[in-house]
Amino acid sequence: MIKTLQIWLAIFVIVSLYFYGLDHFIMSVQGLPLNMDLTPAQ
Amino acid sequence: MKESRYSSRLMWLMLLLIAALGFFWSGTVTITNTSGDWFSGAVASVDDVSADEMTAGDAELKLVPAPKPTRADYPDIGVSSRSIVWVVAQMHLFFGALVLAVPLFVLVIELLGMYTGDSRYDDMAHEFMKISITAYSITALFGGTLALSLFLLYPDLMAYLMRVFGAQMMVYAILFFLESMVLYIYYYGWDALRYGNAKWVHLSLGLLLNGVGATLMVTANSWATFMMAPSGVNEVGAVIGNIWEVMKGPLWNPINLHRFIANIAFGGAVVGAYAAYKCLAARTAEARAHYDWMGYTSNFIAILAFLPLPFAGYWLMAEIYAYSQQMGITAMGGILAWLFIIQAVLIGTILLAGNYYLWSGMSRTEGSKRYQGFIKYIAVVLVICFLIWVTPHTLILTSGEIAALGGSNHPLLGALGIMPAKNIAVNLMLIFTFMSFQIYRRSDKVATVSWEKAGNALMVAIYVVAIVNIIFAGVYYGYFTNTVYKVGSSVMQVVSTLTVIISGVVLDAFLYRGAKTLPSHWGQVSNRAQYALFALPIAFTWLMALMGYVRSSVRTHWHVYTVMKDTSPDNFIPTIGYAGNMMTIVTVMFVLFVLFIFWIANLSGTKQVPPYAVRKVPAAERAGDAA
Repeated sequence: MIKTLQIWLAIFVIVSLYFYGLDHFIMSVQGLPLNMDLTPAQ
Repeated sequence: MKESRYSSRLMWLMLLLIAALGFFWSGTVTITNTSGDWFSGAVASVDDVSADEMTAGDAELKLVPAPKPTRADYPDIGVSSRSIVWVVAQMHLFFGALVLAVPLFVLVIELLGMYTGDSRYDDMAHEFMKISITAYSITALFGGTLALSLFLLYPDLMAYLMRVFGAQMMVYAILFFLESMVLYIYYYGWDALRYGNAKWVHLSLGLLLNGVGATLMVTANSWATFMMAPSGVNEVGAVIGNIWEVMKGPLWNPINLHRFIANIAFGGAVVGAYAAYKCLAARTAEARAHYDWMGYTSNFIAILAFLPLPFAGYWLMAEIYAYSQQMGITAMGGILAWLFIIQAVLIGTILLAGNYYLWSGMSRTEGSKRYQGFIKYIAVVLVICFLIWVTPHTLILTSGEIAALGGSNHPLLGALGIMPAKNIAVNLMLIFTFMSFQIYRRSDKVATVSWEKAGNALMVAIYVVAIVNIIFAGVYYGYFTNTVYKVGSSVMQVVSTLTVIISGVVLDAFLYRGAKTLPSHWGQVSNRAQYALFALPIAFTWLMALMGYVRSSVRTHWHVYTVMKDTSPDNFIPTIGYAGNMMTIVTVMFVLFVLFIFWIANLSGTKQVPPYAVRKVPAAERAGDAA
């Protein structure tokens, strides 16, 4: 049970990090950089 | 022996065609007198001739501005010229889209049949082509009628376009001949080139057919995009660039991509209706099973091609805004804006019908019971998103209604009627439609890999985080930041949706490798599902008529935007009601023609019973018949 929970949590963390990085990448290639908290940097 | 003889003949024919194409493209053929390099010099540039050689008279001769016709220059035949061209052009485009799209997925299905060794794929691909071959003649007939109508009713415009595009028009004609030849060889050579190396020859022909078809499409697209965003000409319309500069306008590639994808979705929907028609009319369980499977494949093609289509549409609109804000605002903020609400209704209809078909189709296998609980949640999300998408920003109201409301704005309309809300709705509809696909495809399989649970957890996580990301991007950047970030964040949403779709396809490919397959009972599906397949092409056709009209109307009172004015009696954007009636007329006409094609396709497989089989005929008469 605990192992299953750990797997789910780990996967959610990895996927969230992926989308977080994706958001930064997509906006910065458009010349619209973001701060760490995803607010506009300009 | 016979097979190798055919394949060798066709191989020679293909080599000949390729050599002919290479010859024309080599630049050694001089079609125009102005330049040795005919392709780049099809439209002569002043730069091609040195200043010493060119007299002032020459320069004047070459830099001919676009004509400025008066109202008297437009022939009056007693009927609205625009309406005639509208109907004929739209019919030509419908059939052109169908004819160019069907061979694209037929080639893929044929290839699939060859790799799997399952002859059903081959038979299905051949049957799809049967529809395309009849539609091809109708396409050509409407194309010819369109050309005659344009030359008769808009002579100055056509003379100008001929001058701008020059020899490229002849390339189009040559490609049309080539397309016809390859199409007929591809279709009629199907059984002659069915096995072994001959199959590769047939597949190569299919590839050539699609290559020529795609070139035809992008060539014709350049005429439409030149009229919207002219390039290679100066401010008065005089040609100052070569043919490549004329063709490669800012909207050319967005239109090319959008039409390419849309054609596949449209073609899939039309052949899906054919399969539904045959499935409903089937008299044996075998025939019903075959056409049920054919309908499923068609729906799969239509919806899969449809999923990335909104993104191509966004690109096109972004390029239109970048080219001319005025043009963009005319489309999405002016009189044409209401048509985008109708577009939402039609796209919603397509997605609901496509999803309904998938949910009904899950009854084919018992394994689907594992996923049936999801359907109601998917339906709720689709309906809510659909309602948000069709919410207009402003209402068309009478003065009495405005007085009752206290104004033409409503708090809900202000929040839900703008693009951030609609972007969220569209992306969620696409994600949940993909979810329907995924559970449908999973329903007849049981995964056997050891990492099944982790794989499913990954898929769930991707869905959840992508949905949260789409809503976050839409709400935060859409309502609480500046416009630049609002527009930029829509790309985040698109990429999130594409991540779900691509990762879902890839993950399932690995997760269900070597999976246990549960039995599927083709034909065991409700008739209602087949009616959903009829709804798809009708909605697609209407949608094409609607958005094609918007694309063309953004030119307002210009034949060629900013360089050649339309001074005909029809140089205005008609009322929405009038445009709606025109779209409905062409949609009904197309449906009638499609029914005719289905009937013809059916007729070709119908054989009359010999007279002596239904009445007693003396042996001597039968012998006479045989002789």
